[in-house]
Amino acid sequence: MGEHVPLLEVKNVKKYFKVSSGWNHAVDDVSFTLERGRTIGVVGESGCGKSTLGRIICRLLDATDGQVLLNGEDITHAKGAKLKKIHEKIQIVFQDPYSSLNPRLRIESTVMEPLKNSHRFTSAKAMNEEANKIMELVGIDERLRQSYPHELDGGRRQRVGIARALALNPDVIVCDEPVSALDVSVQAQILNLLMDLQEKMGSAYIFVTHDLGVVRHIANDIMVMYLGQAVEIAPTEVLFKRTLHPYTKALFSAIPSTNIHEPMQRIQLKGEITNPINPKPGCVRADKSSCSRCPSPAAASPPAASTPRKPASSRRCWKRWNRTTSCSAAAIKRSTIEKGREKRLWNWFMTRANTAF
Amino acid sequence: MGNQFLEVKDLEVVYTQNKKMVHAVNGVSFSLGKGKTLGIVGETGAGKTTISKAIMRILPDVGARITNGEIYLNGESVLDKSEEEMLDVRGKVVSMIFQDPMTALNPLMTVGDQILEVIELHNDCDKKEAVKLAGDMLEMVGIPRVRYKEYPHQFSGGMKQRVVIAMALACNPELLLADEPTTALDVTVQAQVLGLIRDLREKYDTALILITHDLGVVAQTCDEVAVIYAGQIVEYGTKEDLFDHPTHPYTLGLFGSLPGMAEGEKRLHSIVGLPPDPTNLPEGCKFWPRCPHMTEACKGEIPVKHLSETHYYRCLKDRNPDGTFEDQTKPGGNENG
Ligand SMILES: Nc1ncnc2c1ncn2[C@@H]1O[C@H](COP(=O)(O)OP(=O)(O)OP(=O)(O)O)[C@@H](O)[C@H]1O
Ligand SMILES: Nc1ncnc2c1ncn2[C@@H]1O[C@H](COP(=O)(O)OP(=O)(O)OP(=O)(O)O)[C@@H](O)[C@H]1O
Ligand SMILES: [Mg+2]
Ligand SMILES: [Mg+2]
Repeated sequence: MGEHVPLLEVKNVKKYFKVSSGWNHAVDDVSFTLERGRTIGVVGESGCGKSTLGRIICRLLDATDGQVLLNGEDITHAKGAKLKKIHEKIQIVFQDPYSSLNPRLRIESTVMEPLKNSHRFTSAKAMNEEANKIMELVGIDERLRQSYPHELDGGRRQRVGIARALALNPDVIVCDEPVSALDVSVQAQILNLLMDLQEKMGSAYIFVTHDLGVVRHIANDIMVMYLGQAVEIAPTEVLFKRTLHPYTKALFSAIPSTNIHEPMQRIQLKGEITNPINPKPGCVRADKSSCSRCPSPAAASPPAASTPRKPASSRRCWKRWNRTTSCSAAAIKRSTIEKGREKRLWNWFMTRANTAF
Repeated sequence: MGNQFLEVKDLEVVYTQNKKMVHAVNGVSFSLGKGKTLGIVGETGAGKTTISKAIMRILPDVGARITNGEIYLNGESVLDKSEEEMLDVRGKVVSMIFQDPMTALNPLMTVGDQILEVIELHNDCDKKEAVKLAGDMLEMVGIPRVRYKEYPHQFSGGMKQRVVIAMALACNPELLLADEPTTALDVTVQAQVLGLIRDLREKYDTALILITHDLGVVAQTCDEVAVIYAGQIVEYGTKEDLFDHPTHPYTLGLFGSLPGMAEGEKRLHSIVGLPPDPTNLPEGCKFWPRCPHMTEACKGEIPVKHLSETHYYRCLKDRNPDGTFEDQTKPGGNENG
């Protein structure tokens, strides 16, 4: 064979929703690859398409365009028995631990459901044992196993969601904000758990979050999304050292500081609110006039790239996959961000990422 | 006493679960003035949501019981009110941003109309004006007006949360209970929402209880902070008290991870062990099984100690002025990595 086949390959995936006022470009031409045992973090503004992308990869939603390849096999349009196999190999932990659990199922049954559906187990006893093992692993107390979801607090509900996703030992797990609802110490336990499991089983994670401290800790690569597009992808270390895209910068500057004696200096996002419906051509940030680097509307169109652009890609931002190609944004001085603050932020991430985990 | 807007005294709440008693709130007292913000921080399961539900009187009828305590709003006892009277209180006087946005949204109604409904209920303005106001509210939480006619399932997690926030803010409550209002939001939108809440407080003198596990949010928003562990306030003080002089070992564990306070330390402190089982809480101090300063005496009666007029904590140990405890161990003592 010779040629290396990545575990998961996402190619130019698009998802447009029809809404009353037009087409919502929820995911607009996103591509990335993911290797076994690796984690890609997906960060970005609320509503930028992170969950939609995750759902497409899990085949809970059909893509409008583009391909998703698992082990080189196109799963974008898989149906029937094949789709069922895919659901075993790609699992999801949902963002919302409240509505994603069946309120009428006891915790134990919820975790057991995927085991049952998989027909991997010959006896009910073996299945029960497996379910108990998993619940033990994610720290669901014995006393809670016969409870219903509404009787649990947010943190424990999320553990149930994780247990259900882990049950079949999948190749890829889409973790959609699995720890946002949890306090720091439980967050740490869950993240450690996910990483331990990754080491043991070699599963790959697509980790959606808005917590940059968490993403720094868990992800090998980070993809920053903005209005349905991947505006920046880079190895975690690189991104944290030097953010290029203006949105990434604004994102990094908005983390609430825990220093009560020093007021925050936030890069305010000015201009119109982001609207993914019927977007205009040009940089997705252009009509937000907030981009500190957009000298004129002309610069709103992506700069001439060395490779010819397909029509579909004309709305991308200047700077995406390849951090070495020049972009008009990078050319502008970085002095827009105060140096000291950046250093402080960097330190903040470092400590944050080391916190408790 | 008596002139505070909200007063909670010795509140105790018990749930019954599989014939076992879940002691969710165990004697919580605090008060809050108009225009002030109280942050409630603590682990999952500590009882934070239960406290705010008790104030709203929306604990489940079956399985939950307020076994002790009093709650006063504007001097009136909330627990003595009839269900009809409570209908007037909810929404107008107190409103709550729920931790779980989906339970608060009607899946069969457009998001705009849901905000409109709240506005019409509490304001006397004509329909056109109200519709415009509802659109304004949407934009204020960062959702374009053109999305007025969409349904909750068409919104992302964070957008749903923002709709719930818009609804809670639309009726200008006198007391706002915000239960993890920004957990589903990225930091840029979070900053926007916290700004909104701050504006509201300044404009209408709203009292605010902010439940969160994000200490950064507390630092940016709150006047006072209650640290809650196993249904008890283990430390209470102004933001400055808590951030500059955290004292209770649990608070130290929680705050030990603050980068500003651990200058030069690479590895930060984390609290060992698991949250306590509320059906079987330890005797005495609820934190002793996980506490680095534990002694036999901790299983007995625990006094509340005042460090200043605003600052108290619940622990046997005295704190030396240099921040060490009686037994000379450094608080939050941990190996540096
Ligand atoms: N079923 C749907 N029908 C129509 N529009 C949808 C649907 N699901 C999502 N959208 C829209 O697609 C866009 C992206 O939503 P998505 O849930 O992927 O965002 P997200 O990045 O996960 O945001 P958050 O951080 O708030 O969860 C949003 O504008 C949302 O309103
Ligand atoms: N309806 C219920 N029946 C039984 N037990 C319940 C019920 N609701 C909550 N509990 C229990 O009461 C305790 C306190 O729950 P609560 O929801 O107040 O915690 P919390 O501090 O808000 O946690 P989180 O940060 O996870 O939201 C938990 O142990 C929880 O399992
Ligand atoms: Mg989402
Ligand atoms: Mg809660």
